[in-house]
This record gives sequence, C-alpha cells and structure tokens, in this order.
Amino acid sequence: MHLDFTEDQKALLASLEAIVEDHLAPPTEDRRGRYHYSQSLDAKLVSNGFLDAIRTPGMGAVEAAMVIEEVSRSPSVVEVSASALVAPHLLDEALPRPIVLASGDLSKAQRFLPVAKTVIYNAGDKVLVFAVDQANVETIDSIYAYPMGRFKTLPNLASARVIGGPDAVAKLHQWWRVALAAECAGAMKSAVDFVVDYTKQRKLFNTTIASFQAVQHRLAHAHRIARGLHFLVMKAAWSGDAFDANQAASFAQQHIQQLVFDLHQFNGGMGVTNENLLHFWTYRFRALQPEVGGANAAALETADLLWGSAA
Amino acid sequence: MEFAWSNEQDAYRRRVSSFIERTLPKDWWTNYAHGIGTDAQLFYSKIFCPALAEEGLLVPQWPKEYGGADGNPWQQFILAEEMWSWNEPRGGQYMGVNWIGPALMRYGTQAQKDEHLTRIASGNVTWSQGFSEPQAGTDLAALKTRAERTNSGFKINGMKIWTSYARRADWIFLLARTGPERKSISCFLVPMTSPGIKVVPFPGLVEEGHLNEVYFDDVEVPESALVGEESKGWDVIRHALNYERVGLPRYHWARRTLDTAVAQLKKEGRFSDPIVRAAAGRIVAKCEAARLLTYLVVHQRITGEDTVDPNVQRLTAAEACLDLMSFLMEYTPDCLAGGDPMLENFYRSQIAATIAAGTYELQLDLIAQRGLGLPRGH
Repeated sequence: MHLDFTEDQKALLASLEAIVEDHLAPPTEDRRGRYHYSQSLDAKLVSNGFLDAIRTPGMGAVEAAMVIEEVSRSPSVVEVSASALVAPHLLDEALPRPIVLASGDLSKAQRFLPVAKTVIYNAGDKVLVFAVDQANVETIDSIYAYPMGRFKTLPNLASARVIGGPDAVAKLHQWWRVALAAECAGAMKSAVDFVVDYTKQRKLFNTTIASFQAVQHRLAHAHRIARGLHFLVMKAAWSGDAFDANQAASFAQQHIQQLVFDLHQFNGGMGVTNENLLHFWTYRFRALQPEVGGANAAALETADLLWGSAA
Repeated sequence: MEFAWSNEQDAYRRRVSSFIERTLPKDWWTNYAHGIGTDAQLFYSKIFCPALAEEGLLVPQWPKEYGGADGNPWQQFILAEEMWSWNEPRGGQYMGVNWIGPALMRYGTQAQKDEHLTRIASGNVTWSQGFSEPQAGTDLAALKTRAERTNSGFKINGMKIWTSYARRADWIFLLARTGPERKSISCFLVPMTSPGIKVVPFPGLVEEGHLNEVYFDDVEVPESALVGEESKGWDVIRHALNYERVGLPRYHWARRTLDTAVAQLKKEGRFSDPIVRAAAGRIVAKCEAARLLTYLVVHQRITGEDTVDPNVQRLTAAEACLDLMSFLMEYTPDCLAGGDPMLENFYRSQIAATIAAGTYELQLDLIAQRGLGLPRGH
C-alpha cells in the first residue's frame, strides 16, 4: 500500500499540468458559451501521446485515469475518457476520435456527438462500434457543458461492428464508470478551488463570504467529496475491478446534487451566468450524473456483487 | 500508487484473524460482544489482551524497547480492522495501545515509561480518558477541574463526564487546570483507586458503559504523575487527539454491520426490493471512500506529512456511519427494541461518533481553515 504517485507518475502529471495550465480559461469569444471544446488542448494531448498512456510500456489504467482527471480540471472540455481509458479496454487498435459513449435510446442527445467520429454503443447484449456521419447529426443547445447532439435519423446498427457480447458490455460499463468518476474528480477539484477563491474575495455585510462558518462547512464538505473521489478513482483504475468502479461512480454521482447546489449557491447570481466559469464544471457533473444508470445502478450492482440474489 | 497489501501484510492479517478465531469463546457473540464499554466485554478484555500480548499482537507497532516489534502503523490498522470485525475484543484497552502509550513515549518520563508502557504492552491495564466536562467538550480549554500544587505533588478537585470505561478502569489519563491562562492545562496519570475518586455511571443513548461521571475530591497525586511540563499539556492533548481521531476503523465496522443487516433482511425475505438493495449499495461507496482515506492517513503518518486528511477521513467515515444508521432505522428498526444486538451496538455506539474526539463541526472548521485557507469563521 503506497498512496503517493510514483516518480514516473509525478513526471507525467507535471507535463500534463503544464499543458492544462494554459487552458484554465476559455478564449474570450467563447466565455459566454455553454461549453468550450478546446481543439488546442485536444491537439496537444494527442501530439504528446497522453491519450495513449494506457498503451505505453510501464503505464496503464492508473495513468489514463490521471490524464482524464487532470484534463477535466480545465473549464474547456476535450473528449478524453473514451479515447484514453474506455476504448483501449475494448479494442487493441485506436479508434477515430472524438468518441461518443452511448447506451440505450440512440434518439436522445449524446455528449460529444457534434464533434465525434466514432460511437461505442451498449446495445444491451453486445457492444457495437460505428462511425459518425456528421451530416446526420443535429447539434442541440443545452446547458450541459459538453457539445450535445442527436442523430437526425437513427444510425443503421446492422452495419455496426460488433466488439463483443455481455462480457464486453460489462467491461464497457466498468471502465465508463471509472472514466466518468475521474472526470468528476478533476472537475470537482477545480470547481471547489474556483469557488473557494471567489468566497475569499467577495464581500457581504462588510465581510468576506469565506468567513461565514455556514459557507466554510459546506466548502469543507465539497473538498472532502473531491478528495475521497480521487482515491476511489485511483483504486478503481489500479485494480481493474468492477466493484471498485461501482464505488467510484456511485460516490461521485451520489454527491453531485449537493456539490452543484453548494458551489452555485456561494457564487450567487453571478454563478448562474454563462460568463462565470463555474457552469463549465458543474454542468459537466450534471451530464455525468445519470450515466451508466447513475448512482443507484452502481449501488444495485454492488449489492449483487456483495450479497448476491435476494434469497 | 499501490493499493495492494504486501505478502507480509496479508500474512500478518491472517495471523491476527486466526488468533482471534481460535481464542474467542464459542459464545462470544451471544454472551460477551455486547459493546466495548459493557462489563462482559471489559471483563473479557482482561483475558484476551494478555493472550494477545503473549502472541506479540497487542503492540506490534510499538518500538522494541517498549515491548513492541518495531512494526509500523499499517500493522496497527490491520489489527484494528480485524478486531472490529469481532466487535473489538480488546475492549477499552485499544485506547492505551493507540494513543496513551504513544503519548507517554513522546512526553513521559523514564519512570512513567517503565511503569505504564510495560503494563499496557502486557494487556493488563484498562485506561479511561479524563478529558470532557459539562462545560468543556469540544472546547477542552474551558475545563474547570483544577490541580493545585502541594508539598509533594498536586491536589485535584473537579469532575469529568463521559469517561468511557471509568467504572472498570485501572488508571485515568486526566486533564486538569494548573494555571491562570486558558491553556494552562496539565496531564496527569492517576490510579482510579486513589482516595477521593468516585465514579457514578449513568444511562444514556450510547452503548452501555460509556457514560460515567468521575468526581475528584481532594485527590492527592505525586509530582511523578505529571506528564510533560506543567501547564504545557496542550501539546500532549493535540498529539493524543490526532491519534484518537483515526483510531477506529469505523468503515470496517460499518461494512460488517451492513452485512449483518442484509443477512437479516434476506432471512425476512425483504432484500429483493431494489430500493433496499440500492440503499445498501450506496452506503458501501461511502465506506470504501472512508477506507481509502484512512489508508491515506496511515501512509501520511509514515511519511510525516501534516495535512487535513485525518479530518477529511473522519467526516467521510461519519457520513458512511450516519447513512448506515438511517438504513438500520428504516429497514431493521427492531434492532433498537430487542432485535439483533450487533446492529443495536453499532447504532448506539455511533450516536456520539460525531461528537467524540472533536465534533463534526470542528473537523469542518479545520478543513476549511487549515486545508482551504479560509479565515476564522463567524
């Protein structure tokens, strides 16, 4: 048991930080948008090989989760989870990206679809992969801080590539959960830091908001949640165990409501405007909250794993 | 990052577990495991702890010179997890091992070390903690019990409350005021048989045996009872509380209790309801977060990092336990009225878990101010 990053992992993190630090504010022209997909960050991640960390000798799922977590600190969004962590657990070769992870009703809006080249789809009893025809994609205006879109007409799944059956579905669920939890962990850390800074500066009744105990306690909880989640994510990535993936996703998704409420509450009226950066993180949480069935699905699978059937 | 136990740690866990299984009486769960403060369990701890010491498992993390095995904090936590799986057969003696001993190693005189560490390490002594008073719990510096200098030492007057295990304790680690300043507090090691000490147990919501008033009426103690410098006990207290705050693997106990509750629900044919299953599953995530944060704190104890993670861990464990308490009340409410004693024991012991050793709110203050750099609050 050693809960520090190794020297190699620290070096990886330092290189990533250097890139992410340059993307801690979206360009001025995009500040009022619902989201900002950073092509520049995306390109740097690709060119420096960060999205291939999992395929790099000496690295693995922990490093991939670190990449997702660190990149998610940026208010700008980039598709990392599917490319860096989920897809490599399903396929040996790299898929054209960005990649959409989809499940259930394909007529509904999907994260990243307006910029995506590939969809990995949980079809219930099997996992399918198909290319995205952008001419068939309708962009949706949504307050979720991702590019959101839906298919104009449902894609023809008969021509989709079958990756595998129920085992592949289970694997997809497992790594999708780790990935969404890693996204939440990184974004939570930044969102908490952002709000902590704001409360130290903003004054009410001649005193900073940060000096009110009622505010401090809720920020302390927010920090606690982000801290606990980080270690659950690392454990789930390290073990490759479905139980650990369930705990990471469940913990993240259980706390999203409290976190979004508190963080917006302390940013007051400014926090509900688009020019305030907070929504770039919090409305990623909201989009991630129901994924892979949400906290209850992860909890039910935990119950199955630990206690078996009802009898 | 490395989350696996080493082969050595796995073997150590097996050794502890095997010792417990072959040592505890067959009727442990029915006739003894009624709560660590109960007479039955405190009585048994005086049989169990010497045997544990004989096996080299009572204080393995202590230095060899004090009867330990030069082990590390991991061993302490592996041991604690296994003990709590059995409702803590060490009874109140975990306290002597976890923080009174280490406090004496750091602040005690040679004579105190010789006398007390040997005794704690042999499993033959139960300590109680004389900290809280009616007006001084979280705000310990407000305590009123006084120790006044005499020709041969100190004369103590005042009272303590809570003082778990005091009815059956051999010694008390006592805090008393020795000067005019708010933090002029000293620590004393006082035998519970000292003339002038009276213990009055009283009932409460928490498990039996935890609530005792201890009165000190002109209790004379020698100079040698003082731990550290006079009126400089605050450093000793901080050191002790830091150990106490992460002393119990509550996440482990909560998981064990949840298993018991689920077993009951299955037996009653009520665990097919997905609402109940999901509620149980959700608690597991919080327990696992608390577990990893506890391991982080142990890791930091070895590396010497000073962070607010012990406070973060404490809150996370408390959240898990509070959710479990709510689960028990919703789905196994009979546990507080003649139902499973293990469930009742867990519930009642956790009632005060967010108060003891620094309240929940104090932990939040510490995280906010020391961790997030926020100013002192209003």
